[in-house]
Amino acid sequence: MSHTVLVCDDAIFMRTMISDILAQAGFDVVGEAETGREAVEKYRQLKPDLVTMDIVMPDMGGIEAVREICKDHPDARILMCSAMGQQALVVEAIQAGAKDFVVKPFQPSRVLEAVQRVLG
Amino acid sequence: MDLSRYTTLFQSESREQLGLCGQGLLEWEREPGRAEPLLTAFRAMHTFKGMAAAMGFTALTELAHQSETLLERLRADPLGGRERTDLLLRVVDALERGAPVAAQGGESRLDFSPLLAELAQAMAGTPAAAESAPVAAAVAPTAGGGRRVRIAIRSGAAMRGARAILVLQRAEQLGRVSGLEPGVEAMELDGFDGKFSFWFEAALDDAGLAEALRKVGEVAQVEVTSGAAEAVTTAERGRQIRIDLAGLDAVTNLVGELVVAKGRLGALAADLGSADLQTAVSRIDRISSDLHAEVIEMRLAPVWQVFDRIPRVVRELARQLGRRVRVEVEGEDTRLDRASLEEIGEPLIHLLRNAVDHGIELPAERARLGKPAEGLIRVTASSDRTTVVIQVSDDGSGVNRERVLAKALRMGFVSAGTTELDDDQLLRVLGRPGFSTAKAVTDVSGRGMGMDVVLSRLRALGGSVELRSTPGAGSVFTLRLPMTLAVVQALLARVGAEQYAIPLAGIAETVDFLPDRLALVDGREAFLLRDEAVRTVHLRERLGVVGPRQPGRRPAVIVEVGERRAAVVVDALLGQQEIVVESFDAPRGTLPVFSGATILGDGVPALIVDPAALV
Repeated sequence: MSHTVLVCDDAIFMRTMISDILAQAGFDVVGEAETGREAVEKYRQLKPDLVTMDIVMPDMGGIEAVREICKDHPDARILMCSAMGQQALVVEAIQAGAKDFVVKPFQPSRVLEAVQRVLG
Repeated sequence: MDLSRYTTLFQSESREQLGLCGQGLLEWEREPGRAEPLLTAFRAMHTFKGMAAAMGFTALTELAHQSETLLERLRADPLGGRERTDLLLRVVDALERGAPVAAQGGESRLDFSPLLAELAQAMAGTPAAAESAPVAAAVAPTAGGGRRVRIAIRSGAAMRGARAILVLQRAEQLGRVSGLEPGVEAMELDGFDGKFSFWFEAALDDAGLAEALRKVGEVAQVEVTSGAAEAVTTAERGRQIRIDLAGLDAVTNLVGELVVAKGRLGALAADLGSADLQTAVSRIDRISSDLHAEVIEMRLAPVWQVFDRIPRVVRELARQLGRRVRVEVEGEDTRLDRASLEEIGEPLIHLLRNAVDHGIELPAERARLGKPAEGLIRVTASSDRTTVVIQVSDDGSGVNRERVLAKALRMGFVSAGTTELDDDQLLRVLGRPGFSTAKAVTDVSGRGMGMDVVLSRLRALGGSVELRSTPGAGSVFTLRLPMTLAVVQALLARVGAEQYAIPLAGIAETVDFLPDRLALVDGREAFLLRDEAVRTVHLRERLGVVGPRQPGRRPAVIVEVGERRAAVVVDALLGQQEIVVESFDAPRGTLPVFSGATILGDGVPALIVDPAALV
């Protein structure tokens, strides 16, 4: 059974790209969320094997969403998707419980490596 | 990775994000005390940057990155940086223009260096946002025992500091960590070279430790010296996708053809009189109606996609022309056919230019007239079941009728001896190609499309334009558009041997055309409809149909566009039908009475009458 993924990003563009990369690698994208709040709700509902999480989103940012998810599910496997120049935020996300990160612009191979590490 | 598939998505979504960003900036300018608008602008710029970076557009990414940095600093001191709005709005404009250029392969032509220089200068005058205090893993830099672990993160890795902290966290899960060199703060600096070391105490052997730490990823070197589940998959997915309009058009057309074919099938089934066939046909009828409704629904998009640029356009125009203008926008959630939505942006901008340039007076003039110094432009959208109404109104001077009349007389657009123009005549004159009242071609109104293009664009969309202008009080332009372009309900009428379709949206009622209800009003034939005299239009004469007409009573269709009505006299009414509107390339010389063509259920072609052309 392939791993299930929840993709969280406020841009459809990014969601589509990440979903494509993961789907092509055989992952099962079971849900998408465009706000942090939605990410938390969908996580509770779907219990995915992996979450990709944008940092800057409206209505609860990615870091707070990580904190919220990890409160109930400390083992949640969350991969942060960050833009350049957000190292401090990535560090904060890691401290909140994120397991790894990738930096935009994405290279599919890097994304998949990070996903494997998180799931590994 | 092939990025070309994402180009369209990139373009449409970057337009959206930059629109949001501009909106946020304008709101912030109005209410600098509120944090939310600036946050919106920041987020939108950030999202745009991410997309541009993903597409590999470095110039766009860099400009977005620098403006995002400025926005972030402004967030720390929202009241201190209002004069930056201009610069940031110009950046948004530049990005809006640059995004399609880049998407079409012209990235290398983009040069944002002047804007980047301005941004750098602006940032020199803005304090850097307080560095977010690192709440690092509790790493006590105490001298300790155990083994010294030296790590090097791969030099090409992104965010080596964050990676280093992941390594540290892993180490802390495995044992006790102390004596970190350099500290977490240094790791978070951009210049961090990815090399760090710490003391480590645990039962784990060197090889096990190294292996565990390498698994964190991007670890080039680990040196250790002594003394030194199955998830729910069938959840509901309310996914949004974007569809290419051309693809949607193709689906719409196919559904339209299905609806027509269904009509034909229904007619045949009725002739054959088979009950089973009738049942099957009525089932197909239901399904195709549902399918049709779904497709129509898919075609509709909220007008904010166009409206959200309005405040910025007006702001820029007002700035160029020395006007002070406030904008009110209402009804942004009103939905309209996506094809129409793509077409109404330019006409709207023309009307806004008009309002700012010719409508709103200069502040001094307004003061003299006792008007508030700030002019008001309102743009509203609303809809009923079938029609969307967009109004652009201003509280300016109104159209200068005397000047328009004088010029219209000079150009021969109105008959000599005309002494005044009513609103409808005024609009017709303004809509004549080549007519412009601007004393000089200004940079603003002299550019782009004219009122003639506004009128023809609206008509091409099956819509109409109406003008109400009051001297000294301002003008109201009312645009009426069919909510959807795909399939319309129409009344079929016969004139001579031909059938014509009249969209129901433009019909108020049908009546018997009784000769004893005719009267002459202002020298023209009018039909007395209850207490109202309605102009008559004999379609037979208008279309130049020759040949005998069957004797007997004839019906009249009361068409209504805005407040204008006409009684359109036809030979016979043939009933109501859903028709699929085919795009209509009118041959030269075609009467300007038709807005399109269609194929009726029985395979017979028919022209679609444009009610707006008859009233």
